[in-house]
This record gives sequence, C-alpha cells and structure tokens, in this order.
Amino acid sequence: MAEMEVKSGGGHKGPGVKKGKKLSTRVDLTPMVDLGFLLITFFIFTTTLAEPTAMNLAMPKDTKDPNLENKVKESGSLTLMLGKGNVVYYYYGNDPTKMQTTGYKDLRKIILDKKKSTPVDDLFIIIKPDKDATYKNAVDVLDEMTINDIGRYAMVDPTPDEYKLIQQTEKAGGVQ
Amino acid sequence: MGRAKIKRGSTNVDMTAMCDVAFLLLSFFILTGQFKPSEAVEVNPPSSVSNKHAPQKDAFLVSIDKDDRVFLNLTDDIKGDIWDELVKEKNLNVSAQDRKDFMGTDFIGVPFSQLLQFIKIPSEQKKNIKMPGIPIDSTNNELEAWISAASTAGQGKKLNFLIKGDNSSKYFAFGRVIDAFKKNDIFKYNLVTNAEDVPPGTVLYEENLKAQHGGK
Repeated sequence: MAEMEVKSGGGHKGPGVKKGKKLSTRVDLTPMVDLGFLLITFFIFTTTLAEPTAMNLAMPKDTKDPNLENKVKESGSLTLMLGKGNVVYYYYGNDPTKMQTTGYKDLRKIILDKKKSTPVDDLFIIIKPDKDATYKNAVDVLDEMTINDIGRYAMVDPTPDEYKLIQQTEKAGGVQ
Repeated sequence: MGRAKIKRGSTNVDMTAMCDVAFLLLSFFILTGQFKPSEAVEVNPPSSVSNKHAPQKDAFLVSIDKDDRVFLNLTDDIKGDIWDELVKEKNLNVSAQDRKDFMGTDFIGVPFSQLLQFIKIPSEQKKNIKMPGIPIDSTNNELEAWISAASTAGQGKKLNFLIKGDNSSKYFAFGRVIDAFKKNDIFKYNLVTNAEDVPPGTVLYEENLKAQHGGK
C-alpha cells in the first residue's frame, strides 16, 4: 500500500529527455491507526473514568437514658424494615403487627404518600435493616431519603420482637 | 463489439482521518482517566444520587467485600502516624524495618497476630494469599483498635472515615463496622458509592433543576 514507487531500469526509452516521475508523498497510516486503538484499549482498561462519590451518613449516639431519646410522634412515624431477598416490611405508628410487605420499586410511593399526609415537623422515618438485608438495600433506602427530601430519619436495629415477626412472615412467604 | 471495461477502483482508503480520531480519543482518555489504585479485594459499591466526590486525602477506608470480610486502606499521609500510635497502644516490639514494610503495604486484611508476618510478604504476593479480614466480632473487634489509633494519631487533622461495602455484603457486617466507629465516638462517615442519576420528577430532581437555573 505504501506508495513509494521506485523507477525501475532507467535508460532513455523514447526520444527527448524523460521527466523525473514525481514520487507519491502518501504514507500508509494503517499501522499508526492500529497502534492508536491499541493504546486506547489499554487506557480504557487500566483507568477509572468515574471517580467514586461519597454520601454522608451520620449515626445517632447510642444512649441508654430513655429521657434523652428522640420522641417520635406516633402519627408521623413510618418504619421500614429491610428483610431478606430485597423485601421491605413497613408499618405506620407503633404497631409492628400491622406491617405490610412491599418491594424497593414501590417504596418511593409509600414514602411520598406518607410525606403528603403528614405535617413536616411530625414526619419521622425509621429504617431498620435486619441481619439478612444487604448493604445495598441500606444504601438504597438512605438514598430514597435524599431523593424525597426527608429531613428526619434514623437507622436503628430492629427489636427482637420485630425480628421474630419478620422471620415468621418470611417463613410463611417462603422467602429463602 | 468491445466489451465495456469495468474500471478497477483503488482499494486504498485514506487513513489520515481515522488516525486523527484514534489519537484524539487516546489523548482524551489519558487526560480524563486515573489509574486504578490497587485494591485489596474487588468491591462493587452500590450507586447513589450523591454527587460529592469521595475524599482522597487523610482517608481511612474500611472495605467490606462480598464475603463480609473487612479490609483497611490507609492513605500514605496518615499511615506512618497510625502505625506509631498503634505500636504505642499495643506495646508491640517492632523495628524500623517493620515500619518501612508497613508503609509499603497498601491494605490490611489480617488480625494483629498475623500482622507482622503479613507486612513482610512482598507486595506482589500479597494478592495471592487468602486473607481472613480484620476481626469484627463483638468479642474480638480489632477494627476498634485501628480506629482508636487513627483518631489519636489524626488529632488536629480532619480524618475522612470512608466505608465501602460490596453490593451483596450483608448489613450485619456493616452494622459491626458502625459499632466499632461508635465505640470511638465517631458518628460521621462517608459511604463510597457510584454516581447515579437522580430519577426525574422527584423532589431532589426539581431542586437540582432550580439550582441550575438559579446559577445561570
């Protein structure tokens, strides 16, 4: 492909002086393109384009004194319990036995409905990931808090009663 | 009748343009990319809508992998101080060489009992050994000692406590890590995540839109 034409022979073939043939200046760039793409591939594989982001998390201090605990209005509280297999159990107020089951897709609607029907100062969302929930579940729910602009929420462990309840429901529902 | 001759077209394609594109892309990737830092284990963090960049300085990074093992990454600017503090707190009998070995260690994933052996292994081989992770059981929570050493050593500096968990790691392990931090009176952490777009139509989305228009 490289057009470096070399004149063969040389003698005068015809009458008159033969003009010197112009050599082509074109250089074959195929190997250079190959090299370029090879390097691109190399850089794509070895570099990280997206810098990791960080979300802030502030945890409450564990306190043994019940007087210091945050008081939550029953009418304004929504408790989300994160269970095994990407399932969320939620209940309003203080009665865990009334809990309902949902998934992560419908969670936003539930949060928004609660937010609409509750005065801003009363709204409090309690997140209780149980032992079998994954870390992703917890981060997803915290993310929902940011997305829906929930000012007050806390992440705590479920009480033994609640945990038992979750396990019973899971057993009944056959969640592995 | 002479047959019409089909003119043979040249098969040469001009490569100049393609070459230009290739090198343009190449320079773009070189300029925007960052080399992957060596990591103890592969951890795929979940995504979040947060758009704050994870701090890279004075970082105390706790990673939780998919088998719920816990690893520790320290940046070089605080590593030496933490080592000195840890030696003091644990009354370890160490040499200057040990300190040097520790400085050359990118990640820590073993209990204290194996630490001195672990840091002596050449760094190329460290990836091949199976590490048990730092113990975080309630009876034997060694992460607590690391955090305590770090917070003493990092006085006067603002340490960034980062937690990076794998998608499929259990919340249980994360809870233990949080407990270890809480015992040291540290309540603010950064969770390392991948960036994700804010779903349209939500409150945060509207706010971001408003902020963008206000800024213009």
